[in-house]
Amino acid sequence: MTNHVRGRKSLLWLLVPFLLFVAALPLANRIDPVILGLPFLFFWALLAVILSPLAIWLAARSDPFFQRDEAEPTDVD
Amino acid sequence: MSTDAQVAIGIFGVAMVATLGLGIAAMRGRDADREQWAVGGRSFGVILTWVLLAGECYTSFSYLGAAGWAYGYGAPILYLVGYMATGYATVYLFAPMVWSYAARHNLVSVRDILAHRFRSPRFGLVIAIVATLALLPYIQLQIQGMGLVVNAISYNEIPLETAFVIGFVVSAGFVLVSGLRGSAWVSVFKDALVILTIVFLAIYLPLKLFGSYGNLFERLRTERPEWLTLPGNESPGLGVLWFMSTCILNGVAFTVFPSFVAGYLGSKSPNTIRRNAIFLPMYSLLLLVPMMLGMAALFVVPNLEENDLALLSMVTAELPGWVVGIVGVAGALSAIVPMAVFMLCIGTLWGGQSVNRARVVVVASGLAALGGALLFPDALVRLSVLSYEGIAQLVPPLVGGLLWRRMTVQGALAGLLVGEAIVVPLALSGNDPFLGVNAGLLGLVANVIVNVAVSRARPREDAPGPRFQRLSEGSTIPSSSQV
Repeated sequence: MTNHVRGRKSLLWLLVPFLLFVAALPLANRIDPVILGLPFLFFWALLAVILSPLAIWLAARSDPFFQRDEAEPTDVD
Repeated sequence: MSTDAQVAIGIFGVAMVATLGLGIAAMRGRDADREQWAVGGRSFGVILTWVLLAGECYTSFSYLGAAGWAYGYGAPILYLVGYMATGYATVYLFAPMVWSYAARHNLVSVRDILAHRFRSPRFGLVIAIVATLALLPYIQLQIQGMGLVVNAISYNEIPLETAFVIGFVVSAGFVLVSGLRGSAWVSVFKDALVILTIVFLAIYLPLKLFGSYGNLFERLRTERPEWLTLPGNESPGLGVLWFMSTCILNGVAFTVFPSFVAGYLGSKSPNTIRRNAIFLPMYSLLLLVPMMLGMAALFVVPNLEENDLALLSMVTAELPGWVVGIVGVAGALSAIVPMAVFMLCIGTLWGGQSVNRARVVVVASGLAALGGALLFPDALVRLSVLSYEGIAQLVPPLVGGLLWRRMTVQGALAGLLVGEAIVVPLALSGNDPFLGVNAGLLGLVANVIVNVAVSRARPREDAPGPRFQRLSEGSTIPSSSQV
């Protein structure tokens, strides 16, 4: 794992989709409050669908491999 | 035959001929050697990779199924957009690494990659078998999805069986000639139509039928509240724990799904994949539309015998023939594109260095799925339930294997077999989810534990060190076997 993620702190942003759709889900599984006409779970899903690409973009923006369009090392070659 | 039916069938027929022509023209002026045919010469930019990957993730069955599940169960269908979000985050993390390894060593399939990593053609063979068994039901699912679409939009004038055959002929036709490039070109046509029709349906139908989305949900809240939270209406155990575990399992499985790998190996650079990991989850917004429409159908066409017909029944009931025809083309192409990529993927798994051998396998796999659709429409489709969970067991060898040098082929194989031995019986006996948790995730955890334990037990002799790298450079099939 070491070679692959060394010096790429921004990759922590990639946890956001997991927080939204996994960790927070027990709290989001409800009808009220209704927001923008949507029952809460559906509002939450819409919000998470919009925020997830944003989080992946934030991960990429400060990722040196993305900035240099660089191939990634593995630990086996 | 009604005028609406004539118009819809006419539009559909013209579009199928155009699709075949476009797909075949994609290869003009290029030699169909192995790299060109299997991975488009690793030359695709952001747009072609985008439409290709979108073509696989957002298929006819994701649209029909999304509406069908929403109609039948309600909220559990949101898992579809959930695992795509976690999936693309995982793709950003791991897919460029897999691409890099494959590009450095000229590998074109999951089988190639694993045979090369573990210096074991026999382990590659095991992988090819698992992947093929997992993909065949998906091809059949698409053929049957095509049947449903074409039958519905022709106002039942075109029988299911005819539609199955049309789907097979068109997709096999261009994939044999043009390989991945043909699929990518047809995907461009398909995506334009799909986006157009979904946006149209999203705006037109709810407004016409309910006045606004708010009104639709208000009615659901008063009349069908069970549909609005997990575990949904009379679902088979699709609760919160299932939702969470499935978002994790399917999310990590994304990166290794063999046909998805085939799609991203065609990228010309790692950033092509990274940009797609950013932009593709936005496509999920489109998937929310059939979900809403599926729930709207509860009030428009209640008590349907087949949930998957919810969307199409509403479309044919509420819209004129020419719109129905265009929706039908979008639906049919959403079956044809993934069908083509799945067949191509199986072809590259078995083709070795020969494109012609791969082509024979393409036809054979398509015919097998076509036969399944005609003769046993239910049997194989039931197997597709466990495809994702079975494929997820490839994560430790494919991703873990590139990250952990000490993983041995014995560890990888033992973990894989244990994982499958947990997933297959649970899924086939109707015990998935097991105690509320996605069975594939249980299999994956056991898989990793066994893999690590066995690999650690025999560490040194089998671990490929960096010094082997030069020896195998350029050779796709390594010569030594360790299984």
